[in-house]
Amino acid sequence: MERVQTTEENYANPKTCLFHVLFKAASLAFYILSALFIDSFVIIFVVTVFLAALDFWVVKNVSGRILVGLRWWNEIDERGESIWKFECLDQESLARMNKKDSWLFWWTLYITAVAWIFLAIFSLIRFQADYLLVVGVCLSLSVANIVGFTKCRKDAKKQIQQFASQTIASHLTSSLQSAFSIV
Amino acid sequence: MSHSDTIPLHPSSQSDIDEIENLINADVHSATVLPARPPSPPRVSIPISHSPSPLPPYQKVHPSASPPPVVPAVPAAAAAPAGSSRIGISSDAFGSPPDTLTEPVWDTVKRDLARIVSNLKLVVFPNPYREDPGRALRDWDLWGPFFFIVFLGLTLSWSASAKKSEVFAVAFAILAAGAIILTLNVLLLGGHIIFFQSLSLLGYCLFPLAIGALICMLEGNVIIKIVVVSITLAWSCWAAYPFMSAAVNPRRKALALYPVFLMYISVAFFIIAID
Repeated sequence: MERVQTTEENYANPKTCLFHVLFKAASLAFYILSALFIDSFVIIFVVTVFLAALDFWVVKNVSGRILVGLRWWNEIDERGESIWKFECLDQESLARMNKKDSWLFWWTLYITAVAWIFLAIFSLIRFQADYLLVVGVCLSLSVANIVGFTKCRKDAKKQIQQFASQTIASHLTSSLQSAFSIV
Repeated sequence: MSHSDTIPLHPSSQSDIDEIENLINADVHSATVLPARPPSPPRVSIPISHSPSPLPPYQKVHPSASPPPVVPAVPAAAAAPAGSSRIGISSDAFGSPPDTLTEPVWDTVKRDLARIVSNLKLVVFPNPYREDPGRALRDWDLWGPFFFIVFLGLTLSWSASAKKSEVFAVAFAILAAGAIILTLNVLLLGGHIIFFQSLSLLGYCLFPLAIGALICMLEGNVIIKIVVVSITLAWSCWAAYPFMSAAVNPRRKALALYPVFLMYISVAFFIIAID
């Protein structure tokens, strides 16, 4: 309880942050270190892609919600059109989100994608098409999450602006009304 | 604290001072203010079995059923009601619960697992919704296809006596690339299908072939293998047929269906021939 009151904020959701980073780091580490210890490509592929898929699910469904209050998904409506939905918490809660949490969230997303890009370049240079496949799958999962959450955040910012202009407009009208009623 | 009797203050700064005084007084009395806050977590909704409280400190990944303690500092108590309050924009088309932002993690897991099972039943087993294919796979997901493709690749790789990694990589790449290309094929033929929905469908239709591959792995006799694989091949094609044919113009049905059947037939040959 004292931790929250100190002037320097600590992580508000340490376990969620841990899981957020855990699967990303595990899949990267496994991929990089496995070349030293494990001979079988199949095991490397399955474990790395499985960890990357778990990470995708955790980021999309758990840490996105809890650390930054954003969520995105896809729905298909009655006419058969696909709609991408972006959802965010209301403004007060968004403003109260822990800064450290959201810093960690966004930076680990970007760093993981950059790391996979580097690994892709390495496997290209060494002409290993099968490892390129692994890296390609993991990279596309990371990029999908980045794109989804960035769109969500832009949506949230638009909402904040709309909300702000609405409240300004309503304040103006109410003060105008009170001014006129006094007069 | 107010020096209004000694110094004539500008009216706005007097109101600022009043505000600051109020805040200081409110802080002092914060312990009495807290119980007045309504316990809002139970207000949340539909998919939730116990009250979620996502924002208090010491949040666990699986939030427990206990409501947030009344003692904590003001920010935490302020965060808890706000966290369980309604969402900003959630425009949902079919009445899907708008509160998925604050549900416990376990509920999300259960929801996703239930979706995989229901998609599988819709696609592969006979059921009344097959007549309306667009409706059936409305809730597409890619987890099922992922598991089936990996499982099929693993089974083929296990059955192979040599070059196991290549077999796996080739099987995975062919199935994944094949699903993407088949979807593009339907789209280019002027069909109305959604990219991910079709990927999901083609992946789920691999389920019978995956079972066939498992049986073939355990069973050595070639004749039995041929029989089992032909049955599962027919099952896969039967599962894929309504969705694919409904998506395109009736005159182009064969053009859309032929590549799908071709892919499944080649996977079936792969299963039989693997040694």
